[in-house]
Amino acid sequence: MTVQQPTAEDMQERAIIDRSARFPVMFFFTSAAAWLFVGTLLGLFSSLKLSQPGLGDSFGIFGYGRIYPAHTIAMVYGWAMQAGIGVLIWLMARLTRNPVRRGLAILVAGHVWNAAVAVSIICVIIAKGRSIPWLDFPGWLWPLFAFSYALMVIWVIPMFHSRKGGPVYISEKFIVGAVIWFPWIFLTANFLIGAETAPVLSAGVDAWYISNLITFWMAPLTLAVAYYIVPKIAGRPLYSYTLASISFWVLAVLAGWTGFSRYMGGPFPSWMPAISGACSILLLLAIIAAVANIGVTLKGCSKVWELSPSLRFTVFGVLMLAVYALLAAASSTFLIGGPLQFTPFSAGLDTLAVYGFFSMSLFGAIYFIVPRITGAEWPSGRRIRRHFWFSAYGIISLIVLMLVGGIAHGGGMAVWNRPFSTLFSISTAYSTGLCVVWAMISFSNFWFMHQLGMMFIGKGRKSGGPTLIHGEPGAAVGAKEAAGITS
Amino acid sequence: MNNDETRNLDSEAGTASVVDMHDAVKREKTLLMAGNAAAGISVLVVSAVILFVAGGQLFSNANGFSSSIYKSDFYSPEARPPLGGEEEVGADVAWIEDWMSDGKKVYNNCVACHQPSGTGAPGQFPPLKGSEWVDGGTERLGAIMLKGITGPFTVAGQSYNQQMPAWNALNDEKIAQVLTYIRREFGSLAEGEDGIVTTEMMKAAREQYADKAGFWDEASLKAISADANLPGAKVDLITGKPLGEEEAAPEGAEAP
Repeated sequence: MTVQQPTAEDMQERAIIDRSARFPVMFFFTSAAAWLFVGTLLGLFSSLKLSQPGLGDSFGIFGYGRIYPAHTIAMVYGWAMQAGIGVLIWLMARLTRNPVRRGLAILVAGHVWNAAVAVSIICVIIAKGRSIPWLDFPGWLWPLFAFSYALMVIWVIPMFHSRKGGPVYISEKFIVGAVIWFPWIFLTANFLIGAETAPVLSAGVDAWYISNLITFWMAPLTLAVAYYIVPKIAGRPLYSYTLASISFWVLAVLAGWTGFSRYMGGPFPSWMPAISGACSILLLLAIIAAVANIGVTLKGCSKVWELSPSLRFTVFGVLMLAVYALLAAASSTFLIGGPLQFTPFSAGLDTLAVYGFFSMSLFGAIYFIVPRITGAEWPSGRRIRRHFWFSAYGIISLIVLMLVGGIAHGGGMAVWNRPFSTLFSISTAYSTGLCVVWAMISFSNFWFMHQLGMMFIGKGRKSGGPTLIHGEPGAAVGAKEAAGITS
Repeated sequence: MNNDETRNLDSEAGTASVVDMHDAVKREKTLLMAGNAAAGISVLVVSAVILFVAGGQLFSNANGFSSSIYKSDFYSPEARPPLGGEEEVGADVAWIEDWMSDGKKVYNNCVACHQPSGTGAPGQFPPLKGSEWVDGGTERLGAIMLKGITGPFTVAGQSYNQQMPAWNALNDEKIAQVLTYIRREFGSLAEGEDGIVTTEMMKAAREQYADKAGFWDEASLKAISADANLPGAKVDLITGKPLGEEEAAPEGAEAP
């Protein structure tokens, strides 16, 4: 395989697209990074509350029941949605070779979205939320989210329609899918829960919504990023379009069925958890196809994986997607999931989705995109390295902890005459470890936010040559470029 | 790189020349269209395993997609032993349950006439269920138990001409237990009334009617107000201790 050299026209076209995307995309990235930092701090505080329940007891606003939902809102709507929108706008513009239009409308809608996130968090903190996981904001707020979402991403559809050159690339499919699926699940969940149906049904709908936000928003965007970044940086074509296409259609057909298995054995007709558990297992087809595809594409590229921050974050994210899919599938069977129900495991699984695979691959995309749209290089490879390792260790510790904590907690709950409060002393190791995990993740994201802020205010490095994870910035540019590293 | 030229990129106007472009764009490779390799045999094998497991999960739990079966064969939580644990049965039972079961034992003396279900025998023996004498205050009941009653008298609109002997051979505790039993089991008590008769109340009744000679009849019994209750403190249903009293500290309880 030879590396095809882009023509001057190609480069010019890319430069124009990047420039058109600059303001909306940078706005989403910076505000998302700020929310991410807030979210990780809230995560740290809520895990401190788990291990030291008396902390800040005299103030109601520090209650775990308020801090934890505020943390999820910041992570999901502040970070995950906005970072996803920023990445998909840029990717779509590049893949369809259309400049980003309606930048002003996108920016205005983005501000509305941020205001809605801020109001949500304040409402939750002052106990005006509705205590529905991942939909904790007050009921009157969701139309605002839906409206601003529509104004932000609707432009992707005409972009896709007027695409230029060649067949549809696989990432475009995933992006169009995610763009359409999110409003479907968001509106469905809010209508059904807002309609004050039976509380049991609301709980089921909420589990369905959480599961689908992961499989219909986070997973497709992760795969869209991976299918773009990996071939791009490795300079090789994706191994198999067929496999990638299979992973898309499996996801499209099956992801919407997942979620109810969270309440297996609960007051639902038993086919509902059964079918959603089966679909969680079947989703492994999509994930294994994707991981195999990317793995084969990257064969023998260890040098690039070591040096390029984009590739390293993205590939780590794909690996975590595989881990997530395996754990989600295993825990949707009665055999393994039964003892783990209602334990720290399920909260850990959600965190693994939001921070483990989604955020890590999005970081990869952001490390790739930002130098292009700001016209500057990342200030420091060492800080990128710090961001990567503290995040990676944080996530891996989280996986171990949620398994250990989940098994201990679930085993304790299975003993019917054990006082409930002792469960928390059983899982002390878990809650203490969780504090360390969130401290590491907060620390790593402080550096991410710091770096992104530097790029935002134009303090990026102006010299040529990419910022790599190892080595001083700009050093031995020629040698590394010869090795085929682009970012 | 010349800063001014880089800045040009940020301006809205014009088309960027290749010279204007930033390094990141220049060094970027072309995205190659994906290859079209077929899925490998290993992927197919793994997929087959996944399909098998998922099918097993679905069809062993779905119960024929019935909308009314909530339980899965795979999920049958262990039957829970009765509250309190097997060895501990009786240890934590509330006082009132003990009191009632003792009262039921005493009531064995009464079943010949009043029947186990408290319905009596129409025309012969008056019922306890639906009887205004049982539903009313405790003083009349205590009085009947201590001295007996002779007919004719009216219960629930029906006249009876029988004699009930005095049950003063039973001690105060047993009478209190059986009265509690019939009131809680057969009576329809007023709102807020717990129906309990305590030993203390019966002791007071025995003192009060010590000098009364002979049986009660309807007229003399009606001299006692229908809702008059025997004097005595109400008790806690769980502990059996009088309400409103501080629980005495078990001082020196551990001393041998």
